Amino acid sequence: MKIKISGLVLGMLIAATNTFAQDNGKEQTKNSGFAPGFEHRILAGLNFGATTPIGFPNTIRKVNGYWPEFSPSLGYELSYRVTGRWGAAVAVKLDYKGMGTKDEVQYFPTIITTEDGGRFQGDFSGKNKTIVRNAYVSFPVSAVFTPNNRWRFNLGGYAAWLFSSNFHGTVSDGYIRNGGPTGEKVIISEATFDFGKNMRTFDIGLQGGAAYRVGKKLSVNGNLNWGLRPVFPGDFQGMSFPLYNVYLTLGVTYKI
Amino acid sequence: MNVRKLCYVAATVGALQSCIKDAPLNPEADIETFTVAPDQITSDVFIDQTKSQIRLYLTEEAYQKGIAPLIKVSAGGRVSPASGDSLKFNESGLKEYVVTSATGTQRKYTVEVVQTGVWKFGFERWDTVSAAGASWKYVNPLSDDGRNIWASGNIGIAITGVNEISDFPLHATTEAKDGKYAAVMETKPGNALSGWMGIHLFAGSMFMGNFVTDYLLENPLKCTQFGQSYTGIIPKSFTGDYKYQPGATFIDKDATPVPGKTDECSIYAVLYTGTTRLDATNILTSDRVVATAVLADGTAKNDWTHFDIPFVAVPGKSVLSGQPLMMAIIASSSKEGDHYRGAVGSRLILDNVEIVHE
Repeated sequence: MKIKISGLVLGMLIAATNTFAQDNGKEQTKNSGFAPGFEHRILAGLNFGATTPIGFPNTIRKVNGYWPEFSPSLGYELSYRVTGRWGAAVAVKLDYKGMGTKDEVQYFPTIITTEDGGRFQGDFSGKNKTIVRNAYVSFPVSAVFTPNNRWRFNLGGYAAWLFSSNFHGTVSDGYIRNGGPTGEKVIISEATFDFGKNMRTFDIGLQGGAAYRVGKKLSVNGNLNWGLRPVFPGDFQGMSFPLYNVYLTLGVTYKI
Repeated sequence: MNVRKLCYVAATVGALQSCIKDAPLNPEADIETFTVAPDQITSDVFIDQTKSQIRLYLTEEAYQKGIAPLIKVSAGGRVSPASGDSLKFNESGLKEYVVTSATGTQRKYTVEVVQTGVWKFGFERWDTVSAAGASWKYVNPLSDDGRNIWASGNIGIAITGVNEISDFPLHATTEAKDGKYAAVMETKPGNALSGWMGIHLFAGSMFMGNFVTDYLLENPLKCTQFGQSYTGIIPKSFTGDYKYQPGATFIDKDATPVPGKTDECSIYAVLYTGTTRLDATNILTSDRVVATAVLADGTAKNDWTHFDIPFVAVPGKSVLSGQPLMMAIIASSSKEGDHYRGAVGSRLILDNVEIVHE
């Protein structure tokens, strides 16, 4: 019974919002009589990009392959237009950020620590395959510029919390040297690694993009999210260089 | 349209950042191979990369005349004295090679000529092994004249993160039959790193020969290179003194306890032909084996127990005159330790080992 009533109320709300949005749309097409107000949008898209070093270290010799992992992005944005052109927006998004890569490395320093206090330090030369798929709840905050009724630009930052992490892969066809470049050699035909548990749970970065209206309420958009905080903490030494989340969201926004 | 442009911009930015840099200079300064004419050696040259030592097993003639080894070092490195230069043993002074890597790192290799004239070992001399900057150190027995004749899996265990001398499966003990020290082998529990490799216990072991780390992940049984050059005929017997206490719970390779099973020790000697070392995959099965002396009773011995095991020739095998031979002595606190089965805490103490001739 309660559910039915809630459903009814929700239905009415949606209907009301739709009517409002349609009116607002008409006003926009006329491009006159602007009134400050809230706008609501559903954001849906896919993330393409990489969890990557910014500038490759010389220990990475060759990138043999790259593929995006299925990384959906879904969210809700609330914006407020202060003037005809300017406004601000906040959003809450569920963001998967993932990719896979195959590369070849040389003298790649790594330190692996284990829960029982064990520690292995060595230099690896050989092939590497890494798969990253992390899920974040992110909160983008933007300044919004709407020059006309087709285009809408946004620029700002984001804060994101990791709630599910995957960072694993294999090393193969190479060798590791215990302690450093002159240590004992151990041939690695194939071994796995998993650094998922080592990842930082908080990411912060810059984001910005553009949306182009293609329907009454539907726009296509692209939004670049550039992480400014390395995804691994400073004391993590599995890799000797920092990795950042750099992902482009391609998708649609639907104004409600 | 413009979205596409935006994508191009993003892709270009990404690509610019992702340029592959010039290859780093090779920091490695290894002697990779050290080749001596086959007619000058009694067994294969061994390069100990932990101790940076080249072990040579030479014929008497080669020792007197000297050798001219061909040396291959890490790509981009150089060695001094150069490959092909003669190396004389009748002159005094330390025999060593210095390898300089492409980055300028230097690594010094010493040369040790290993001759096993006296086949009697009291384990009175021990060498502490470590590496620059390493947190691990372990001990290894030397022959009475200070040669590296014995080896163990200790370096492999050091790589998994074990640091302290007494935490390694092989170390020295003052609980000796004669003299000051004896060798003690203890089966130790594995750790998180070894667990990744599916190894849940480290059996205590020591053997005559050398240990290579290269196959540690691929096939650990190939790491134990058994045997030292041997001259003569099939010896009479293999003797020594030992004590043995099996650990409480026998575990399988996957760490599950095996009820009712008690761990046993193993002590044996193998004589085989050739100059290339056999390893744990083939030491008892190779058709090069000529004779063996195997301790039959691997059960608990609380007091010092003497063993005197006659060498038994493999049916149809005999030693031909002039045939190169190698002798291996192998001992372990867990008989099935090579398959990672045994009981943590099993403890074997060994002293006064000897290959007895007529």
